[in-house]
Amino acid sequence: MFPCKYRTAGFKGYAVKFSPFTDRLLASAASANFGLIGNGRLSILATTTTNTNNSRTQSNTNNSPLTILPQQHYDTQDGLFDLSWNELHENQLISASGDGSIQLWDITLKTHPVAKWKEHKREVMSVEWNYTAKTAFLSSSWDGSVKLWNPVHAQGSVQTFSEHTGCVYTAAWSPRHQDQFASCGEDKSIRLWSTNAPQGRSIASFGGHTDQVVSLDWNKYSPDMFVTSSTDRTIKIWDTRNLRGSVTMFGPFEFPVRRVKFCPFSPHFIATAGYDMSASVWDVRNGSVTFVHDAHTEFVFGIDWSYFHPGQIASCGWDEQIHVFNAPLPQ
Amino acid sequence: MASFRLTQVASHLNGTKAPRTQIGVQSPDDIIIVQALRTPITRARKGGFKDTTSEYLLGTILRGLLERTHIDPTLVDDICVGNVCPPGGGATTARMAALYAGFPNTTSVQTVNRQCSSGLQAVVHIAHAIQAGMIDVGIGAGVESMTQFYGPQHKLIPDTISDEVMEAPQVADCIIPMGLTSENVSAEFCIPRSKQDAFAALSHQRAARAQKLGYFNEEIYPVRTKIADKDGKETEIIVDRDDGVRPEATAESLGKLRAAFSADGATTAGNASQVSDGAAAVLLMKRSRAKELGLPIQGKFVASAVAGVPPRIMGVGPAYAVPAVLKKTGLTVAQLDIIELNEAFASQAVYCVETLGLDINKVNPKGGAIAFGHPLGCTGARQISTLLTELKRQDKRVGCTTMCIGGGFGMAAIFESEH
Repeated sequence: MFPCKYRTAGFKGYAVKFSPFTDRLLASAASANFGLIGNGRLSILATTTTNTNNSRTQSNTNNSPLTILPQQHYDTQDGLFDLSWNELHENQLISASGDGSIQLWDITLKTHPVAKWKEHKREVMSVEWNYTAKTAFLSSSWDGSVKLWNPVHAQGSVQTFSEHTGCVYTAAWSPRHQDQFASCGEDKSIRLWSTNAPQGRSIASFGGHTDQVVSLDWNKYSPDMFVTSSTDRTIKIWDTRNLRGSVTMFGPFEFPVRRVKFCPFSPHFIATAGYDMSASVWDVRNGSVTFVHDAHTEFVFGIDWSYFHPGQIASCGWDEQIHVFNAPLPQ
Repeated sequence: MASFRLTQVASHLNGTKAPRTQIGVQSPDDIIIVQALRTPITRARKGGFKDTTSEYLLGTILRGLLERTHIDPTLVDDICVGNVCPPGGGATTARMAALYAGFPNTTSVQTVNRQCSSGLQAVVHIAHAIQAGMIDVGIGAGVESMTQFYGPQHKLIPDTISDEVMEAPQVADCIIPMGLTSENVSAEFCIPRSKQDAFAALSHQRAARAQKLGYFNEEIYPVRTKIADKDGKETEIIVDRDDGVRPEATAESLGKLRAAFSADGATTAGNASQVSDGAAAVLLMKRSRAKELGLPIQGKFVASAVAGVPPRIMGVGPAYAVPAVLKKTGLTVAQLDIIELNEAFASQAVYCVETLGLDINKVNPKGGAIAFGHPLGCTGARQISTLLTELKRQDKRVGCTTMCIGGGFGMAAIFESEH
């Protein structure tokens, strides 16, 4: 099925996400000059399938060649480091920007965002829409805080969670508890939170790795399990029921994994994007790598699984490339 | 700001690599111990194994390991056996023992001699061979029949040694009898006889208590063997306990013994390790392999270190080897839950406990070689079985085995229980 690719010319990819509403849309957050300085670009991309009769159809299957076509793009003042689709409105998505702002976009509109929130004092590193409760989203920032937002809440963020010291790279919602999420950061720690906890204190906090923890994601089928990746060159699998007990570790490898995502179709697989310029699929039961996509020619920073086609993955990286490919999910 | 972002990316690429083996962390490539098992230890020439040969002892414990773990013997690639005294380094008798135990001839066998640490070195050799990918599954073992191969009539040092070699510094120290090295440690570090006797009595008390409460049951594999009475008549017996333990020993009673190695010395038969017979074996493989084979995991091998020290005070070895292995793992002494410190002599054991600042309650909680004996090549493997079962019993995690080594060395290893 590969090569199925798109180039975000002039902008280095940081994040790519499939739409939760249709298999025809995906979006990428990218930044000029490797994200160090300059503008950001949010690209809305449409995927179409060319069948053997060479006519375009509206949906793609795993075995048909896929084309990625640009539908829309929006440029921002500062770089963009993450994005998340609105779980309630199919045309909306949010982006996380280097100037501390978060934008809400409607893809039926051509230029400006429909809302913009500027509260974080530093780069917003991640945003994630709550996919169970669907009304709220999280942002995590280099200013050390995680913020909870609700778009109907006009005054700004609903709550701020400030316990990390240093950059909070990722905040991710629990798939089971609508009020719970986990965060990880530069301070090497992992924290579990509840939006219901008094005074916004974390439920649990533990040293996760021997260096910065850059990515975190929850197992969608075993909701006590989550995975983290770190600049200590390892991936660790955690169980919230036994946080100080045994942890499973893969690695250390040569290069850190920058982003890790559990598969929406199976409890056993994670997709990773890393500084080794590859996107890979791992079986968490034994730490074996079941698939490697090594077509990128620069660091791979973004990765996401399709919600419609088991095993379909999108990746993006500093080579300005977005790739969509299929990975087998063996039993 | 651009410079901060650049620094951040650089920090990702320069992050400190995590250690491959960590306490509390399970990795598919961890070297794990399925089981560590030992025979009872008996007094040389007088105890239950006095008419038992070393290949029978070793063969029996290897058989016991197969029986207890249910592993298919054809899966074992290599067996490394530590032993000190036997002729030819015990290489042929080790091969015989493996075949007797039921291993096919496709299972290789080797022996190793690092004196008192041979059993541990054997386990470490197997661990390293698995890590390096040379083998998949291995057994590290140790055996010594000091009845058969130790004593004035047996030569461990040749009659003829080159004069030129003997004149080099410290070379003559290599043939100082072990008891005299103990006296050197006593004198040089001012360890009074009373402290040594108190330590020796503690070893007996702890071992006696452990025997009474059945703490050794899990690590001991009983041995069916024959014993001859003074008329040469043979009877079959089952040996299932260490017979060197003296529950009635006290510091006072031990204080009455005469110095054994020098006229006004402090080392006696009572505060030195006993001369003994015994064997032990440890089954190792990667965690991923154990999972594939459906085998239980008793513990994990974390790290090992060896340190050289002056031969004339060889007893100080652990005081150097333990810090070396702690440095490798980033652990501190306080993080060790149990320490199996071989009691070659009370003098050096006390010296090491004090120098390392060990909590005496964490050292040899089931007693040590002074109480139940030190079959030379067996001890290093034996300590692992004693350590892992005790970590489980106390519901603790991190343990260290260590010993001094004749010739001037110390060796230490860290294990984590996975009960």
